[in-house]
Amino acid sequence: MGLISNYNLRSMLVRKGTAAMTAMGIAMVVAVFVMTLAIAQGFRSTLVASGSPQNAIVLRKSATSETVSAVLKPEFALIETLPQIARDAGGHPLASPELVVIISRPRVTDNQPANVPLRGVGERAFQVRDSLKFVEGRRFAPGMREINVGRLAAGRFAGLSLGSDVKFGGVSWKVVGIFTADDASFESEVWGDVDLMLDAFKRNGYQSATLKLIDPSAFESLQAAIAGDPRFDFKVEREQDYYAGQSLVMTTVIRVFGTFVTLILSIGAMFGAMNTMYAAVAYRTREIGTLRALGFSQMRIVTAFLAESIVLALIGGVVGCILALPVHGLSTGTTNMASFSEVAFKFRITPTLLAIGVLFAGLMGAAGGLLPAIRAARIPVARALREI
Amino acid sequence: MKFAGLVVKSARRNKRRTALTVISVAMAVFLFAALRAVLDGFHAAVEASSSTRIVTIRSTSLIFSMPTTHAETIKTVAGVRDITWANWFGGIYKDPSNFFGQFAIEPESYLRMFPEILLTPQEKAAFLEDRTGCIVGDGLVKKFGWKVGDRIVLQVGIPIYGRQDYEFTVRGIYKAGSSAVDNMTMLFHWKYADERSIVKNQAGWFVSEIANPDQAAQVASAIDKKFENSPYETKTDTEKAFQTTFAAMFGNLDLLLGSIALAVVITTLFVAGNTMAMAVRERTTEIAVMRTLGFRAQTIFLLVESEGLMISVIGGAIGIALARALVSSETLPLGGFVPPFGVSTLNVVVGLLLSALIGILAGIIPAVMASRLRIVDALRRVA
Repeated sequence: MGLISNYNLRSMLVRKGTAAMTAMGIAMVVAVFVMTLAIAQGFRSTLVASGSPQNAIVLRKSATSETVSAVLKPEFALIETLPQIARDAGGHPLASPELVVIISRPRVTDNQPANVPLRGVGERAFQVRDSLKFVEGRRFAPGMREINVGRLAAGRFAGLSLGSDVKFGGVSWKVVGIFTADDASFESEVWGDVDLMLDAFKRNGYQSATLKLIDPSAFESLQAAIAGDPRFDFKVEREQDYYAGQSLVMTTVIRVFGTFVTLILSIGAMFGAMNTMYAAVAYRTREIGTLRALGFSQMRIVTAFLAESIVLALIGGVVGCILALPVHGLSTGTTNMASFSEVAFKFRITPTLLAIGVLFAGLMGAAGGLLPAIRAARIPVARALREI
Repeated sequence: MKFAGLVVKSARRNKRRTALTVISVAMAVFLFAALRAVLDGFHAAVEASSSTRIVTIRSTSLIFSMPTTHAETIKTVAGVRDITWANWFGGIYKDPSNFFGQFAIEPESYLRMFPEILLTPQEKAAFLEDRTGCIVGDGLVKKFGWKVGDRIVLQVGIPIYGRQDYEFTVRGIYKAGSSAVDNMTMLFHWKYADERSIVKNQAGWFVSEIANPDQAAQVASAIDKKFENSPYETKTDTEKAFQTTFAAMFGNLDLLLGSIALAVVITTLFVAGNTMAMAVRERTTEIAVMRTLGFRAQTIFLLVESEGLMISVIGGAIGIALARALVSSETLPLGGFVPPFGVSTLNVVVGLLLSALIGILAGIIPAVMASRLRIVDALRRVA
């Protein structure tokens, strides 16, 4: 194998220009592929990061998301008493009644109004969601018209910086703190006291309740307790499952779109590789004849040319991944169709994604190289040797 | 022109290679046209929006409603000629994946103010008479196979509308007279939903017709002034601004689709350029012979360029024809969120020009190589 693989690699170097162009064509396809999947990946991990394995969310049975759910105040009081909920030192249940409404704020970049989710949360919300950390200021005081702003929302929308007054629901609210949440979608949100929000937006009930469980394994017994209680018309989901479900529509759209684009594009690049390999075979007819005459089997010739094509494509794949890398970490925003509000997220290129990109390139190389390789092996030895 | 035969002959010399390149270019142009068509769909919806209609929503957001009594107040604003309202219903037809827009409208005034909703007089009369009647766009009809007289049951998606399923009778199928109207929606009587709603007399948004489009900004701010400091503050904007906001919800579409289109062009350039380079290399000896016979360097350059151009434009034509046949909002349902789109004549022209550009650019380096060949060297070389 040594001789023949050496031969193929060096032949590739002889025709640098053609090989480079083919590899670049494949590189572009892989770059597009990796970038679109990075959007889907980033969006999904932002939403999934919002869920903690120890938390559960209670929603109205028919509700598909919190914005179309309803949990009334007396119902929340009943939920709070469930024994599966963790308690703080003072014996208070770690449960947060929540209400998500949307306020319109202009984006910093283009001054266009965008929908910013405003989450009314209960007193102990910061214990329920313990990933939240304040980078500036402090948490809002219950009963005060104060709000906290997620780090991404503060940077993305005008007038949400520390100390500024924000007007919504007919009254003015003061920003007293900026928080981070381990890249979760909460960083795109504005938080305030849920009971004041109910008043401001003329609502008569909460939308959902988020609970911290005594232990992640308490979920099943909580689910059974809620399903078995005739007073409840609720369902309970693990917070992580809930947020993964919320990201599903958007990630599916992006994935389908990305796959559609790259598939069509890859046909072009694959045919490019095919052209290159056919030409390579045609140029080397005599050499192939010689190899066959020396006793190399047809199978060896096929594998050798196939390998050449795959190596070429893999080089393209690696270059494509490198081309795509700079978008990693770039922050962008889109509408979360489940809540009609804007979620900021970062392009996220994971090692798996890169591996898929390179693998995809390899496949293109294999598909493009197969027919030319077979052709190379089928050339009759006598005719090949006669060729000039 | 006298060399046309020669160009065709050269292209047919390696049929397989030419065919592969043609298909590559066809794929690229197809993709380009499809992306353009979707983007144009968004722009068209913005462009076609009326300049005499202004939309009033709650200042907090579109998904909150406000009392229908606002209509009376808005009517008193100088410059407002007519008013109607609508509400988002968000029901589920069999399965949540069958998403489409459903609007509870105040039927008479809505149809009066949206003449772009094209209905026959009989259908219109039948719809107005039936409290549980609905009209559906012809795009939606194609998707679900409904016909006039069919019963449609929607499950409630938003709790405010109660718990019971809603049953409708299709009374008419409307066509969209302009891109400002989506043919993938269902419209029904606002009253029907209101009767069962937990909170009565709510409207999601008001649409007012103004007498003079130049006064849109003044009228809009006059309307918002009326509700300032009320629990239901409003935000009024032209229909165009409203549509722009909606398109902007998807993020920076122009940039995203634009960069994909660029990647498509570059990829194809590599493929087509490579083909031409191979074609020239293969013919080194021949080109030398032609030069010896007296063909000038420019002629050789033009011959290679024409070949690249021809291959690319053939590919472009195939791609654009495919796109024209396959890409439209009816054949590619994109979840109902995207406005209607299709491959326009402009897209066709741009696609063809693009393929010509690809052909010319891809041919440059090989053509220069061919025209600069030193005859002696080329003749001496054995391929």
